[in-house]
Amino acid sequence: MNPEPFLQLDRVIHEKGRMAIMSMLAATPELSFTEMRDTLNMTDGNLTTHIRTLQEAGYVSVTKSFRNNRPLTTCSLTAGGKKAFTNYINLLETIIRQNKPE
Amino acid sequence: MDTNWAAEHLQTIRTLMERSALYRRALAPIMIFNGVTGTVAAIAGILFDIESPRDFVWFWGGVAIFAMAGSFLLVRRQALKESEPFWSPPTRRVTQAMLPALVAGLILGALVLIRVNSVTQKTLFELDHPNFLAQLVVKAAPDNLTNVLAMLWLPLAWVILYGCAFHAAGFFMQRGMRIFGWAFVLGGCLLLARGIPDWPRRVIYAHGIMGFFFGLLHLAYGVYLYFTEQHGNET
Repeated sequence: MNPEPFLQLDRVIHEKGRMAIMSMLAATPELSFTEMRDTLNMTDGNLTTHIRTLQEAGYVSVTKSFRNNRPLTTCSLTAGGKKAFTNYINLLETIIRQNKPE
Repeated sequence: MDTNWAAEHLQTIRTLMERSALYRRALAPIMIFNGVTGTVAAIAGILFDIESPRDFVWFWGGVAIFAMAGSFLLVRRQALKESEPFWSPPTRRVTQAMLPALVAGLILGALVLIRVNSVTQKTLFELDHPNFLAQLVVKAAPDNLTNVLAMLWLPLAWVILYGCAFHAAGFFMQRGMRIFGWAFVLGGCLLLARGIPDWPRRVIYAHGIMGFFFGLLHLAYGVYLYFTEQHGNET
């Protein structure tokens, strides 16, 4: 078996929590912090840590604003994030293909 | 090396992407538009005395087409404003989920129209029947049958089916939509269980049912959404 694709997997995305965040953001233009927290059943602290890691990697952009006098934090994928996520999925598919019984 | 994890990862990604790709159009304007349309139509139905079952079905069929066209225009306007495709996967899923129940309602309406016709024709035919008793039965039947169908069963069947449609769509929308669907289903069933009130003016009852469910209930939910739709996203 060729271990190459496995080694190429992006370590930032290849973590359960961050992969979940990236998956959700890949399907929609933007998501609020609350929506992600509720869907993923994460604590505020856990989600904040993962988002910060993704933000530092340049995969996620965070916008803080006010809507109806209430603070609103929304996240979206950056162009780099979309590319990295597409690569990640392609590598997963390659791994599955390579190990399919002939 | 076991690679099941890769397949599992992909499955998780697919599930999460589907879950987050919910229908996100602002529903408050759509609900308010439908609510106003339903309320005005019910008042018009009573004022203009749209009493025959046939006219009732045509009238509310027209109102439904108007409401659907308006809703689609509102959705399209929102999509254009946000530079998103109108026929997006979530929109497609919501439409597909609603379609069976809505089509069932359409077929029921068409059946009532056909039934009204056939009963009338049958009546004319049977009037020449030599059997006096048969004449009496048929003479009595059309009015009762068509009134029961169109003035009670049909509006409530529409209400229940509409509730089913919204409940199905609720799996691809915000959770409140399923509760809204349940309100229609349970309300419709309760009124069905109650039966036709002993009331000389069934037309008011029938239009009242339509006005309450398709008008006031939409309006109330629309106003609720207007004040809550963008409020729940605090960090």
